[in-house]
Amino acid sequence: MGIFGHMTHSLDLAGESVEFHPWGGLYWPAQSTLLLSDLHLGKVMHFRKYGAAVPREALLRNFDRLSRICTQFQPRTLCFLGDLFHSHVNREWDLFEKWARETGSRLQLIVGNHDIISPLRYEALGFELFQHLETGPFRLTHHPEKSPGRFNIAGHIHPAVRLGGAGRQTLRLPCFHLRANQLILPAFGAFTGTHALDPEPGDQFFALTGDAVVPLAVEQTGPTP
Amino acid sequence: MGVAVDWFERQGWEPFPFQQKTWKAFLEGRHGLLNAPTGSGKTYALWFPILLHHMQQQPNFRKQHKKGLKALWITPLRALSREIQQSAERITRDLEIPFEVGIRTGDTSNAERARQRKTLPDLLITTPESLQLLLATKGYHQLFRDCYAIVVDEWHELLGSKRGVQMELALSRLKTICPHLRIWGISATIGNLEQARQVLLGPDSEALVNSVLIRAALDKKITVKSIIPETMETFPWRGHLGLHLLEHVIPIIQASKTTLLFTNTRGQCEIWFQKILEKHPELAGDIAMHHGSIDKETRNWVEQAIRNESLRAVVCTSSLDLGVDFAPVETVVQIGGPKGVARFLQRAGRSGHRPGRESVIYFLPTHAMELIEASALQQAVREQAVEDRIPYLGSYDVLVQYLTTLAVSDGFRPEEIYREVSRTFCYQAMSREEWEWLLNFLVMGSQSLATYDEYKKVEVLPDGLFRVTNRGVAMRHRFQIGTIVGDAHMTVKYQKGGYIGTIEEWFISQLKPGDVFTFAGRNLEFIRIREMVAQVRNSSKKTSRVPSWMGGRLTLSSEMSKLLREELYSHALPGGQQSLEIQSLAPLFERQKLESIVPGPDQFLIETFQSREGFHHLFYPFEGRFVHEAMASLLSYRISLLSPITFSLAYNDYGFELLSDREMDIQMILDNDLFSAEYLLDDLQKSLNATEMARRKFRDIAVISGLVFSGYPKKGIKMKHLQSNSQLLFEVFRDYEPDHLLFRQAFRETFEHQLEEGRLRLALERISRQEIVWKACERFTPFSFPIITDRLREKLSSEKLADRIRRMTRILTRGGR
Repeated sequence: MGIFGHMTHSLDLAGESVEFHPWGGLYWPAQSTLLLSDLHLGKVMHFRKYGAAVPREALLRNFDRLSRICTQFQPRTLCFLGDLFHSHVNREWDLFEKWARETGSRLQLIVGNHDIISPLRYEALGFELFQHLETGPFRLTHHPEKSPGRFNIAGHIHPAVRLGGAGRQTLRLPCFHLRANQLILPAFGAFTGTHALDPEPGDQFFALTGDAVVPLAVEQTGPTP
Repeated sequence: MGVAVDWFERQGWEPFPFQQKTWKAFLEGRHGLLNAPTGSGKTYALWFPILLHHMQQQPNFRKQHKKGLKALWITPLRALSREIQQSAERITRDLEIPFEVGIRTGDTSNAERARQRKTLPDLLITTPESLQLLLATKGYHQLFRDCYAIVVDEWHELLGSKRGVQMELALSRLKTICPHLRIWGISATIGNLEQARQVLLGPDSEALVNSVLIRAALDKKITVKSIIPETMETFPWRGHLGLHLLEHVIPIIQASKTTLLFTNTRGQCEIWFQKILEKHPELAGDIAMHHGSIDKETRNWVEQAIRNESLRAVVCTSSLDLGVDFAPVETVVQIGGPKGVARFLQRAGRSGHRPGRESVIYFLPTHAMELIEASALQQAVREQAVEDRIPYLGSYDVLVQYLTTLAVSDGFRPEEIYREVSRTFCYQAMSREEWEWLLNFLVMGSQSLATYDEYKKVEVLPDGLFRVTNRGVAMRHRFQIGTIVGDAHMTVKYQKGGYIGTIEEWFISQLKPGDVFTFAGRNLEFIRIREMVAQVRNSSKKTSRVPSWMGGRLTLSSEMSKLLREELYSHALPGGQQSLEIQSLAPLFERQKLESIVPGPDQFLIETFQSREGFHHLFYPFEGRFVHEAMASLLSYRISLLSPITFSLAYNDYGFELLSDREMDIQMILDNDLFSAEYLLDDLQKSLNATEMARRKFRDIAVISGLVFSGYPKKGIKMKHLQSNSQLLFEVFRDYEPDHLLFRQAFRETFEHQLEEGRLRLALERISRQEIVWKACERFTPFSFPIITDRLREKLSSEKLADRIRRMTRILTRGGR
């Protein structure tokens, strides 16, 4: 990765041009808005607080990636599609506060099921909070919804796709999941799992390899061997 | 001792020399290991001196009785505890010793536990896990103060497992807090009995010096009879069920008063039970099933019925391998390869179960190649070629668990515990630095402090005591202690209530509501999961889904592999010098020779062919599954260095396969000398990073050491916010703390317990002396078929992810239903 950051994948969504980032972010240049979903900050510390010694340094990756992706896009608005913080407040929140005070972006949060921290704390950091948000052709939510006439962008699922090939090869990769009028973002958080999807006709997947976004040309589906 | 001899005479028995030797040694204050098979009267060999000792110490024992624990009897299987209790009670009753004989296992009710916490019974029968839980009780010193004996039964079963390490640690503590403790182990015959004694008592310990090894040396004749299919043509080339030969078993059952049919997995056990009843409904009521997932009452009932001979046959798994002294079983049938001579001998020993009687065991092969194994087994039984049980070394996960246990109860002082722990076999090589590292890990969850950290587990109190003060931590830890055994289990119940048994959680997680599966001999429809209970109802639908339990994959020992090769090589001998099994395989060998060869002692066979799946490359070292796993990993890694390639690897006891979407040049492998034993260790280590073997080992380590919390299965609390999968955790450790002792342990264990580097080296050296015969075939052969159809596979790739994605042909769907 050079000083220009990671290679993104550009495409048209509901008439708007957007870019998919290999770590799972979506950038919308026309509005200078960056969408990130399911960071689950605080999870590492939450585990440690309960006596499970997950390496402490792992929590730094989220902040490191946050900083780097913001440096790459310099977004005017940074919108989190829910599950920003995994648990109750813990000391990871302090790190998050520090980061939030230093960022130059306007901050928005679509509240997700894990977001149980008082809205006042977010508002004190300059966050705008929403249950959902309509912007341009998009309806941004945490849980995927059917929204007639709008294009829904959501998180929550932590989508992954499983691929099979000759020689009994299989791969499982986090992905952007696109279907008619809906896009599900992959989880941006480092210490989060994924959920493998069962594809339906018309689904499109953009797999993340860590340093690239690879649109899947595969049409055929079949059972896991 | 006269009392004991008299007692024996009253029963019309005569004590065996080994029993008398054990009584004497115990009463002289010695420790020891008793090598005696099941059914030899081993429980009386140790219960008697324990009671005699008390009678000596307490001449007025009938009138004056001081309550509290006197002796512990540890059994690896709670199913055995009733039996052991009964044999103790028989003596205490007859000798009028007012002792309470109690049981404490996972099955013990809460009320009984609470009662025991006040005063333990005089004699307590328990499991290694329940013993750990006792060490997690406040004031445990007091509970054990007057305990003067501990017997570890079936020590050979515990020895090669982490439960054995748990035992080593518990013993190291008991040695200190019970000043008059005698330690005794009981073991079936294994290759490394001397080592077994060392592990039990501690290397270089006083206890070891003051100990004896007593061998029962019962001259028991064992006859192995193979069940040979009449025609080889219709006998399958692969499979593990063996149902083709079901009709051959019926006359055996009918000719005998009682028969045990040993299967290798619980799934196989279920299927056999069902199929026998389907084909022979007249046997209903005469046969039953016994395996570890069936509820306790049913198991007890079955065991009782075996004893009264009110059942003709029982289909069972290793759950009936151990214990149950004096149970009269006339005939034993082994279905499928037992993968170990010691285990096979033990099973054989279940028939003619009274000392001195001949034991007959029938071997039923589940597929053609297993007939070679059958033949080798006969040889092994003749030569008593039993395998070693390899004890664990440096299991930091178990130590972390143990130290937390001590911190939960009364707290510990590192100096004292270090002295004890470093004298055990498992931790004899542990350095002072590693010990300090572990203490840091327990207290800080890391090796350094960070101001923002909120890690909470063990605390160091101002007086230097290491202690858990947080109730939540203590509670979660107590729940975690039992998990050393393995997978998470889920209770299966009828919707209206009614307990059926427990199944591994991952099996349930594959089911959709409405799916029908076979369990505990019934067809059940899955309704839903509610609070960690799988609710089901009876179903009349036919089904083929049977829970296949993990851990069913075993490997051949090196002794057995050698015998297996020798049997195979005998195919070239004249018929008269071959075993019946090898003779019966003639049609299969002919078929094999159509496109390939049956290798001789100087040949190493490689087969290649192409199918719709891709390019198959097969290698046949005949060294047992673990060696093949290591060799496949090594070879594929070395090939992947030459050019980017992706492999899917499969193995069985005869050989292994490298499957790829591209053809490999075998000549290139030979020219590059890829079977070389040079740089073996280094290459093997690197190949481990490329495959997922260590990752899988890490799963258990993470659970045992408390890095992953599995919830409170019995309480129905899932604690989802604390669950993480060990895969994720593995990656976090790899990226942030690759030197972490628990992370390194996963690699070391893969090495020591799975890959068996030493055996691999010998195998490679053998190959280097053999002529390599490469056969390019049109299609699969009898040798390759069982391997290429195996679904449990390892992956190894040196290709870029993006390149691999490009060549993928389909998106996979779940289950394919």
